Amino acid sequence: MTAHSSGVSRRSFLGAAAVGAGAVAADMTALDVLRSPLLASELKRGEKRVILLWLAGGASQLETFDPKPGRPTGGPYRAIPTAEPGIHVSELMPKFAQRIKHTAIIRSLDTKIADHGQAARLMHIGRRDEPSLRYPDLGAILARELGQADSRVPDYVNFYTATEGRGSGISQAGFLGARYNAMFLTEQNTPQNLHKLEEINDLDHVERAELRNLLTARFARGRESAPLASHNEAYARVRGLMASEKLFDISGEPQRIREMYGPTLFGEQALIARRLIEAGVPFVKVSRAWWDSHGQNFETHLELVTELDHVMSALVDDLQARGLLEHTLIVTLSEFGRTPVINASLGRDHFASAWSVSLTGCGIRGGTVYGASDEDGQTVKDGKVGAGEVFATIFQALGLDHQKHYEVGIRPVPLTDIGTKPIKEVLA
Amino acid sequence: MFPPVGLPLETVRMRCLLYLGCCALVALHSVRAAAGGELLSPDAPPEQAIDHYIDTRLQRVGVSPAPQADDANLLRRTMLDLVGRPPTALEAKAYLACQDSAKRLQTVERLMASPAFVRQQAAEFDAWLMEGTRGNIREYLAKAFRENRSWDRMFRELIVGEPDDPKQQGAIRFLAARAKDPDKLTNDTSVLFFGVNVSCAKCHDHPLVDDWKQDHYYGMLSFFSRTFDVGEFFGEREYGRVSFKTVEGESRDAKLMFLTGAVIDEPATPEPDDKAKKEEKKKIDELRKNKEVPPPPLYSRRAALIEAALHDSEQAFFAKAIVNHLFNRLFGRGLVMPVDQMHAESPPSHPELLAWLARDLQTHGYDLRRLIRGIVLSEAYARSSRWDSAAQRPAESLFAVALIRPLKPWQYGTQLKLAATDCQQYPAEMSAEEMDNRMQQLEAAGRALGASFELPGVDFQVGVDEALLLSNGEKIANDLLATGDGSLVGRLAQLSDARAVAEAAIWNVFARPPADDEVKALTDYRSQRADRIEAARRQMVWALLTSSECRFNY
Repeated sequence: MTAHSSGVSRRSFLGAAAVGAGAVAADMTALDVLRSPLLASELKRGEKRVILLWLAGGASQLETFDPKPGRPTGGPYRAIPTAEPGIHVSELMPKFAQRIKHTAIIRSLDTKIADHGQAARLMHIGRRDEPSLRYPDLGAILARELGQADSRVPDYVNFYTATEGRGSGISQAGFLGARYNAMFLTEQNTPQNLHKLEEINDLDHVERAELRNLLTARFARGRESAPLASHNEAYARVRGLMASEKLFDISGEPQRIREMYGPTLFGEQALIARRLIEAGVPFVKVSRAWWDSHGQNFETHLELVTELDHVMSALVDDLQARGLLEHTLIVTLSEFGRTPVINASLGRDHFASAWSVSLTGCGIRGGTVYGASDEDGQTVKDGKVGAGEVFATIFQALGLDHQKHYEVGIRPVPLTDIGTKPIKEVLA
Repeated sequence: MFPPVGLPLETVRMRCLLYLGCCALVALHSVRAAAGGELLSPDAPPEQAIDHYIDTRLQRVGVSPAPQADDANLLRRTMLDLVGRPPTALEAKAYLACQDSAKRLQTVERLMASPAFVRQQAAEFDAWLMEGTRGNIREYLAKAFRENRSWDRMFRELIVGEPDDPKQQGAIRFLAARAKDPDKLTNDTSVLFFGVNVSCAKCHDHPLVDDWKQDHYYGMLSFFSRTFDVGEFFGEREYGRVSFKTVEGESRDAKLMFLTGAVIDEPATPEPDDKAKKEEKKKIDELRKNKEVPPPPLYSRRAALIEAALHDSEQAFFAKAIVNHLFNRLFGRGLVMPVDQMHAESPPSHPELLAWLARDLQTHGYDLRRLIRGIVLSEAYARSSRWDSAAQRPAESLFAVALIRPLKPWQYGTQLKLAATDCQQYPAEMSAEEMDNRMQQLEAAGRALGASFELPGVDFQVGVDEALLLSNGEKIANDLLATGDGSLVGRLAQLSDARAVAEAAIWNVFARPPADDEVKALTDYRSQRADRIEAARRQMVWALLTSSECRFNY
């Protein structure tokens, strides 16, 4: 489908330049993207980045951001005070509690849908599906809005190495087109096809691409087409993306940093996310599964929340130390929360009526809580919001107008459904 | 039965306002179709009508179209469209050498009579009709195209279907793939068969098209609302109504209404009582258990949809939609764009042509071969895709210059496989039957390779995954750049003359005569690698295979 932003089309500009761009991008393997002064200055200009921690299966709000100690629904864990007077979180999040000044908690999501597949779609695209339109997910929109069309690094990296819930943890560019598809890592921490085959030497790899460009430029004379331009844009990005392969390799990170994130897969992927963000990748999603604790909720959450607390805190500290936190938004999202009622298997079930998400860093008024659930956590008492409001808030925090629209065919499609408002109270 | 998903009222109203604002702009800029006028004689062949109407408009706006494409280009385009693959170098050479002035017509007729034509149409229609589902109706479509079944018959078999009839085997998957989602079934049916996207009228009256109301959406939904599945088969109840909420909050019963607004009279059927419903459920469970086809209903709403659509001779949604679809597929652009917006506010670029072709299709028994043949034999189809003129490039809607179309995944897979195979594997003396067998194997491999590529939609973009895969994928290198007998790289190794190597490579991959500058580029590339000549050959072939010339139907 056609999707043009309302401003000057970046694509039409690139369309003309795409074939020539091949030569520019072709020698990028020599460039250390981490040390590139160009990229450093880009970040200084205030380019915004996002790390999404996707808690697949549905994390419990009661064992994280919205504890109900002493209530029948409260469970065994206590609430602890945070560095911000008056705000309490679960005792499973002591490190987070100390760093709350960077985070806003939203405790009043009512998203209606409580089955994994549909709810996960809702929380990925921020609105309900429509039969006639394939919406892009948050990552694809941000890849487009925050990335650069000729970027040398990927603009949407999606880790989902667990198998549970992967089918629901969608990643779709929808009407924005394949240019904004995620680099999707399901098997290992390094993407496929970034590595040159042994059989070809580096110079030949560069020069055969130049030969390709020459043949293609010859073909493209007198021919104009956006798909044709995109074909050459894709090849022009190959060498740059290959250069980014080392971003996925954490073996060179100082031991101190690796220990800070911890030896878990989630921790390692969060560290890779930081490396990617630092090199200019606008959107990285790290998925952690499987939070779906229908039985033994408290054991599951003891393990998973403790890890989340550790990894989030490592990210906050590390990004802050590097001066990146003010440019980087860390979001925790799930498809839904978990029931206040504890079932016979000591589990909590799917619950979309009153649950929580957190926003940390860029554009966020830290140390705040927005909205409230009732005393047992059964309903939203105050400040009810849905997926659309959370998305609008994310866009605003990143300096994007949530009402900006794409033209899809003849139809204007805004970033969030019309009438959706961002949650001003949590914005800086 | 299917409660409307409620958008907040405010959202709906604001969306409409925004929409209307945008539409006003569209309306201002769009030139209204010239009203009335006699159509060209119905006796003319479709290709003549296509050129008549397109040329008339070109003359009116004072644009000279691009010249006809050269023979090699046109052969490649025609073969990709009709049989799903480009020519081999030998086929292209033979075509170029042929002096017969009727060679184009003969080639089109030969291609359309070949089994490969059936496979390609089945692949195209399957990709189109089943996109976004997990189903596949390729086998059914191949049967239908082999017999040249009419489009109205295929429509009936896909929507109503008689699973006991072996001729219709597999058709039911069109429904099966959508049965769980009545909204999708309704909208897909409207988009695919009538060129109308009604989903906008689900939550509110269509803001763009005056005469499309929620009544139309739920009217269309009603055709499917009584359908239920029993495993792999479908039954239809004889009762049940759809009700919906209007934007004002009023609850309304949907009428059985086609897009034209025609309301279908049907036998009144009271809602059964609870006991009867329980019995019905028991019966359905049994059918499911025994894997039996449910008995047909006394009155079928799905069959009523077929009748309504085929009786709509005035607006001819059904005929116009397939004309527009095939135009879009074969020209890279429909007469109405977007193709799912065939309504008063989205006028055709050539209204008389659309009307003429729709009438022609109706009076010739919905024969798709006639339509495809007409398009492919038109001069408009045969134009060059290159605009070399100093004059400004004309608007796409004039069909003055051919558009570049990304290959479908199976076409690209087959193109790559064929280009990487030494063309002498398919010598001219090979029998047509043997050639077709070999091509079927190649297509199967091409289809497997094509699974890595995306099906192009409107404004398709090539993703970087594809470029990375073709640049660094080990299987790709082993497969397409193999050095053994029968491969292109292997054949190049047998040639010693640098120029001969370059020319053979270009012929084999592009199926056209080489030009001096590209021959020079390839020979230079090779001569710089005298110490690693085999690597050089593989790299040259890689550069040819990955160039845009291979990726597109131009």
